[in-house]
Amino acid sequence: MITVTGLTKRYADSTVVDDVSFTLEPGTVTGFLGPNGAGKTTTMRMITGLVPPTAGEAKVCGRRWTDLPNPAAVAGTLLDAGAVHPGRTGRTHLAIMAATIGVPSRRVDDLLDTVGLGNAGRRRIGGYSLGMRQRLGIAAALLADPPVLILDEPANGLDPEGIRWMRELLRERADRGGTVLLSSHLLGEVEHTVDRLVVIGAGRVVADGPIGALLAGDGVRVRAVDAGALAGSLRAAGLTVSAEGPALTVAGATAEQVGRIAAAGGHVLTDLRPADRGLEDLFFQLTA
Amino acid sequence: MTAVLDRPATVLPTRPLADRRPPLARLIGLEVRKSLSTRSGLALTAAAAVLPAGAVGLMMALHDSPPTAATMLALLGTLVSMLLIAVGVLATAGEWTHGTVQTTFLAVPRRGRVLAAKYAGLALLGAAISAVVVASTYGVATIGAGAGFSWTGAGAAAVATVGAGAALTVVGAGIGAAIGNAPAALTGTYLVLLVGMTVLDNARPTWGKHVDPLSAMFDLVEGDATARPIAVLAAWLLVTAVAGIAVTRRRAIS
Repeated sequence: MITVTGLTKRYADSTVVDDVSFTLEPGTVTGFLGPNGAGKTTTMRMITGLVPPTAGEAKVCGRRWTDLPNPAAVAGTLLDAGAVHPGRTGRTHLAIMAATIGVPSRRVDDLLDTVGLGNAGRRRIGGYSLGMRQRLGIAAALLADPPVLILDEPANGLDPEGIRWMRELLRERADRGGTVLLSSHLLGEVEHTVDRLVVIGAGRVVADGPIGALLAGDGVRVRAVDAGALAGSLRAAGLTVSAEGPALTVAGATAEQVGRIAAAGGHVLTDLRPADRGLEDLFFQLTA
Repeated sequence: MTAVLDRPATVLPTRPLADRRPPLARLIGLEVRKSLSTRSGLALTAAAAVLPAGAVGLMMALHDSPPTAATMLALLGTLVSMLLIAVGVLATAGEWTHGTVQTTFLAVPRRGRVLAAKYAGLALLGAAISAVVVASTYGVATIGAGAGFSWTGAGAAAVATVGAGAALTVVGAGIGAAIGNAPAALTGTYLVLLVGMTVLDNARPTWGKHVDPLSAMFDLVEGDATARPIAVLAAWLLVTAVAGIAVTRRRAIS
């Protein structure tokens, strides 16, 4: 569980993070979204004790990061895949981390295989691609099999296979009761992976809730064999209808209302669903 | 605004590992391992250990009456201590330059503890390298020594070399931690030690004797003085180590 309460970071003349609060429950993957400079990374660094907050506090599993005896065993982090010594091998990097946490060294080879770096583990990190560094960072985050994962842009540089693997990994963690905080600019990826969203804009939380509720639009989308005739019936009932090709969007209406009108008029429907917004639309609406 | 979602039946168990703080001895060992896990660290360590043997061989071959064992060790130990300072600087400032400080402090967020482990680990590494310098210097000298070669004060010189080498490695670590940038820390340190101290020694020789850590090490190993060089080295050790901890504890990791 991650609890953030009134987290604020001010520098000399600017407030980068302003009174940010949210609680992330076990069993969820939470997308942490916001445009560049919105305060996502600073918030994540305050949660993990790298940047001291001006006000407020963040707790991971009930304790501040600096009070956790062995934080890497509680929360796996990937905040910057470039934060590795280029002269060390991937295996040495993980082995040093494993020894710090107290994880048996055999776990290092297992994880290198898991993230697809089994053959590259003895190469120097300086020769790794961005995607390989991301995989190494994910392996490091998983070393202690921690109940919490905090990942900042983990999909950067991953190929489609890697992105799918990561999505399955995060879902599996949440299904086992883990808490995952995921920051990403890949909105499509986030939409397919997360249970809930925290959206931050100009340092403040502008939306926080289950992704289904946030994406749910106002109205329904309907298709019919004769869309024009159906549109006429709906307008005659006082509803506002807009047409996008063969599909009609009925603002402010429920699926039941539209279904009854269609049945009364003898219209054959081929599709009827809530008019969801895409995550991209929501993102731009909230952060504009 | 928060929302609570349905929780699954299974929750990852809280692992006993989470309550086990990494012991200081483990952190010290890891800091030594980190310093020896990069090419730059290995190259500096190897150079510090191997170069004196060649230098002593040359001295013995070129001089009809080579200096005493203590003087030879003072000269080579002081030169090697310049490399030891670099080993210390790279161990701390290198972490900031490469960004690995983030990984380090995420795993062990108590920064003072990390630096204490670094200082202890580097002191051990510096002492070990200095011991190799003593062994190689005396080893080659033994092979090449003629009848008139003087071993007077060799034992005390060995002890002083190991102690001063350990101290100056930690001095480098303190400087690196305070500056947080490897190129700037190395350049600044060598400018102060090689240019600044030379100027001071020429302009105010008395002051120089009370400030210059390399002169202090030379005098200590050669056996010319004891109290003053130890005080100079201790002052450098204390000031740089404390400065390193003070700055590191306050510095944000971006």
